[in-house]
Amino acid sequence: MLISYAWLGRHIDLDGLDVDEVARLLTLHTAEVEGVERVAPHLDQVIVGYVAAREKHPDADKLNICTVDVGDGEPLQIVCGAPNVDAGQKVAVAKIGTMLPGDFKIKKSKIRGVESRGMICSVKELELGDEHDGIWVLDPEAEIAKPVAAALGMIDWAIEIDNKAITHRPDLWGHRGFARELAAITGRALRPLDLSLPSTGTARSVPVSIESKSCSRYIALEIEGLKPATTPAWMRQLLLAVGQRPIELSVDVSNFVMLDLGQPNHLFDRSKIGSDGIGVRDAREGEKLRTLDGVDRTLSSEDVLITSGDEPIAIGGVMGGEESMVAAGTNAMLLEVASFHPTVIRRTATRLGLRTDASTRFEKTLDPTLPMQAAAHLVRTLSDIVGGLELPSAATDVGDWQDPSSVIELRPDRLRKLLGAPITDDEIRSYLESLGFQVGRVEEFGWLRTHSPTRVAEVGATLGGAAGIAERLAELGRQIDTLSLTPADIAEIRNRLESYGIGVGDLSSMSVSVPSFRATKDITIEVDLIEEVGRLYGLTRIEEQALVVSAKPVARDRRRQMVRAIQDRLAGGARFHEVLTYSFLPEELAQKTGVADEAYVEVVNAVSEGWNRVRRSVAPSLLGLLENNLRHRDDVRLFEVGKGYLPADAEHPGDRGQPRQRHEVALVWGAPKPGKKARFDADRLSALKAVVEDLCGSLGVELTWRAVEDERPAWAHPARRLVGGVEHKKEFTELCFLSSIDPRVARALGVSADVAIGTVSIDALVELPDPGSRYTPLPKFPGIKIDVALAVPEALPAAEVVLAIEAAGKGLVKEIKLFDLYRGEQVGEGRKSLAYHVLLQSQAKTLTDKEAQKFLQRLERGVEKHSGELRRE
Amino acid sequence: MDANFDQLDELREAGLARVHAAADSDALRLVEREFLEKGGVVAALLAEIPKLAPEKRREGGQGANQLKTAIQNAIGEKREALLEASLMVEAGGGSFDPTLPAAPMERGSLHPITQVTREVEEIFQSMGYTVLDGPEVELDFYNFQALNIPADHPAREHQDTFWCDHEQNLVLRTQTSPVQIRAMETLEPPFRVIVPGRVFRNEALDATHEHTFHQVEGLVVGEDINVGQLIGTLKSFLTEVFQKETDVRLRPGFFPFVEPGFEVDIRCPFCDTGCKVCSDTTWVEYCGCGMVHPNVLRAGGIDSERWSAFAFGMGLDRLVMMRNKIDDLRQFMGGDLRFLEQF
Ligand SMILES: [Zn+2]
Repeated sequence: MLISYAWLGRHIDLDGLDVDEVARLLTLHTAEVEGVERVAPHLDQVIVGYVAAREKHPDADKLNICTVDVGDGEPLQIVCGAPNVDAGQKVAVAKIGTMLPGDFKIKKSKIRGVESRGMICSVKELELGDEHDGIWVLDPEAEIAKPVAAALGMIDWAIEIDNKAITHRPDLWGHRGFARELAAITGRALRPLDLSLPSTGTARSVPVSIESKSCSRYIALEIEGLKPATTPAWMRQLLLAVGQRPIELSVDVSNFVMLDLGQPNHLFDRSKIGSDGIGVRDAREGEKLRTLDGVDRTLSSEDVLITSGDEPIAIGGVMGGEESMVAAGTNAMLLEVASFHPTVIRRTATRLGLRTDASTRFEKTLDPTLPMQAAAHLVRTLSDIVGGLELPSAATDVGDWQDPSSVIELRPDRLRKLLGAPITDDEIRSYLESLGFQVGRVEEFGWLRTHSPTRVAEVGATLGGAAGIAERLAELGRQIDTLSLTPADIAEIRNRLESYGIGVGDLSSMSVSVPSFRATKDITIEVDLIEEVGRLYGLTRIEEQALVVSAKPVARDRRRQMVRAIQDRLAGGARFHEVLTYSFLPEELAQKTGVADEAYVEVVNAVSEGWNRVRRSVAPSLLGLLENNLRHRDDVRLFEVGKGYLPADAEHPGDRGQPRQRHEVALVWGAPKPGKKARFDADRLSALKAVVEDLCGSLGVELTWRAVEDERPAWAHPARRLVGGVEHKKEFTELCFLSSIDPRVARALGVSADVAIGTVSIDALVELPDPGSRYTPLPKFPGIKIDVALAVPEALPAAEVVLAIEAAGKGLVKEIKLFDLYRGEQVGEGRKSLAYHVLLQSQAKTLTDKEAQKFLQRLERGVEKHSGELRRE
Repeated sequence: MDANFDQLDELREAGLARVHAAADSDALRLVEREFLEKGGVVAALLAEIPKLAPEKRREGGQGANQLKTAIQNAIGEKREALLEASLMVEAGGGSFDPTLPAAPMERGSLHPITQVTREVEEIFQSMGYTVLDGPEVELDFYNFQALNIPADHPAREHQDTFWCDHEQNLVLRTQTSPVQIRAMETLEPPFRVIVPGRVFRNEALDATHEHTFHQVEGLVVGEDINVGQLIGTLKSFLTEVFQKETDVRLRPGFFPFVEPGFEVDIRCPFCDTGCKVCSDTTWVEYCGCGMVHPNVLRAGGIDSERWSAFAFGMGLDRLVMMRNKIDDLRQFMGGDLRFLEQF
């Protein structure tokens, strides 16, 4: 919202307060000023000229050749097409080189053969209004050669206030509110403003009936005898300064009053209102009204309508109708000043896409006592300008509203304690009073009655119940709720309470009356008052204090430690790059990765089309990053620690419908496909498996791998996939899932690399028991290294072979490492050969060749059971 | 060379000259053999000693040994010098080019948001704070109602909320503040916690607006918590983060869940007299904070008469941007390794 510096000057003496200081003070004490801009800065360049002579252009009927005195000796010859230009006028002259709004630079020119050395400006050219039927004729007193701004006193600044900073302050949606703040901040006086309604005639008032719950007050006042007149320059300037286009006098005054006091109001053409007067009712579904901006609006039953008889004439609180609006020449008007329900107005404005100055203000819960003041202000302002106004009948003032003024107890000690600042009682009182609050006498024990049920109960417990306090006070001959205590009484009570061990520091409280303009919603409880005092005292004056740390160590969080370890391991030795991706799974990616049909938590108002889904897993998001990154490098390793969400369902209803959260680390590794002669474990899935084994190993978890049995995400290769987990007492806990990418998904993503994907559940890792120590004593005796090659059927998993080796070792196998996987003629169709380095070692003795031979014999027999054979070279 | 005790000096001079003149280790080896080894000069001298007059034997022995030591030392030094020279030949000869690139050491990287989050966590942990986490898909109750933002409160509009259902029961949390309530529900006061995490606002993307960004929330509940301590806390934190004394300035700010509520400006970390970052004001808007509203404490089951609390919330993306002079916020969530591997 824009506030005019000059406008503030109508309400408070700004002497010695320049606009930057005003902006600074408001920012520090009231609301953030986002910027200060000079109003119409070009008026510093356009100067006052005097048309000394005017003659007709010899070759053009409509052009005039003016001789303009601009005070520097030689008068300028300017060709001007305006019909109203004449000798003897003071005019606004843009000399050669002057920059006018719209980047329009004045140059020397020849018009129909006659030289022109500048321009005589119209109001429109200077962006001071819409009139363009002639040049702007200035006050004859204006001083020649002076910049127009200075000569006419048109120096002003627009102060831009952050709207978000005043959503809770209905009183700040007009200039007087800000002036009141400034007065309180600077200790200056707010200029008095007569807000009493002038006396009215005795004709029958306009009947008003309110049938809508959305309107709590409606004032209707007839105004007659409006003589045609233009809006005075001062008002036009103020309106322009805050970006309000001047229209015509009555509309301008209506706007002026709204911008001055913050109370919207509306003027109807009196002749358009029938004898039934005004009705206020909820609109009927589908009812139509053409608003004064010329747009046909279709209404819903949640909108409130102003009607003449039953005929709609305005959308309450938002905008008037075109049919009934005032225009230049309207001399009998009906003024509406009303109070509307904030939420209703906000909804209507939002639904219609019609946020007006009025609706913006009504949304803020305006002071219901303000309408009558605004009505008076409008009548007085208008009458000051044109004179001779008549108010034929008394104002109709109907509605079910209450003065929201309230009284709040304020405990000064509580205030000092919360702000941490030594503000005295007198200061508190004076700050509050300067803002329009009334501070009652300091009331000892007031707190017992109202504010603090817990505290009363606490004290009561010490004294034998709340009744106990009353009794004690009664002993002194006083009732709690009368409390007409003498200083001597107070001293005695203090002594008594202290003898019960109750601190008496906060026993005194102030009773603060909140004025209606602050009471609608901003100031309702004690801390609201504390804020008022704090900001006037000056937040920058509050001194920093140390917050002592307790010596107790902060409890460690296993999940967080684990996440940190995982990140470090992956970004370290594994050389993965951590990414963060959106929680949204865009439609395109969901389709490409084949997961579009799963059940998702979905936002109903997506940021853009197809961005509704909230991801179930982090993995697809990472797949979405492959293509771009593979364009710049051929080895791409990505991971993200993040959360996915599974919507609540019958089986998992969740807390109040909250979805299940899945905390996981997802990994994606893309690299060139291995060549034909590459080792058996040169593919990405093997490599990623090693990374995950190392990762879990670093957390003390030794993984067991299994084939996937149940259904799995569509991006996973149907055959090349596996789960890892831990086995404890025959119970398998799954921790991770790995797979190669499904080639169809890879194609859809535009990726030709070898890609492996993995997810590791952090939720499951955190649940595992602490692994404890992993130390085993160093070997005391040398071991024997044996290489074995075993030909087995293709279908036999390597894990079975390993079990067979372990079994053959009878506890002596310390290490088994696969070093070759062979398929081909030498082992025959449907078979494979697995070659291992095996280390046999005993903690009790040095092994001999005899033990090695026994191991091989057992192994031979062992693999035979699996139709395998021990290959001897 | 003949061994002659009368020519000890000559022998030494000659030996040292040979050592000195030796061009390579082979030449040096020759001298070594000739003087010091079996059948060499020193050995010959020693063999002569029994033939000397008894009173000269001692002197003769000493002379022979001195000769041996002198030659030995000279050879040692010369050998070092030759080795050094041969190494330098390799360097000076141009086979080693210090500007040739080394085989690159590939590395992974941590996301800059992770790095700054850790830093923030460490600073606050050292100040006695516990780090908490909360759900990103949050109940309206925690995100709004319990934070003193009932249905129809205008503040809801300003937050550009993503709703997860038409009944407005579930939202993508617009702030980390809901964890304040969750903390109050589970912890016994006094306590102090911070909550880093991702939050969501329905805003169109551009260089300075994201619909997904990161915040850290702080909450301190205690018996005599006040605004002065809030200022002190922010100052200590910021001084740590920027590694220089950083002044803060509170001004009124409106957030429904605090009262009084403040906007915090910090003294521009990049200038003393005004720069682009601070729009020449020397102050940079930094975060929001305030004393926790009694309604919020009540919603979290805390007696607002007995306990008071302050809370603050600040953007982590903004912190990274400020410190690294990053001008496009979208890069954080863009997943482009050319950006990420720089951190
Ligand atoms: Zn700066």
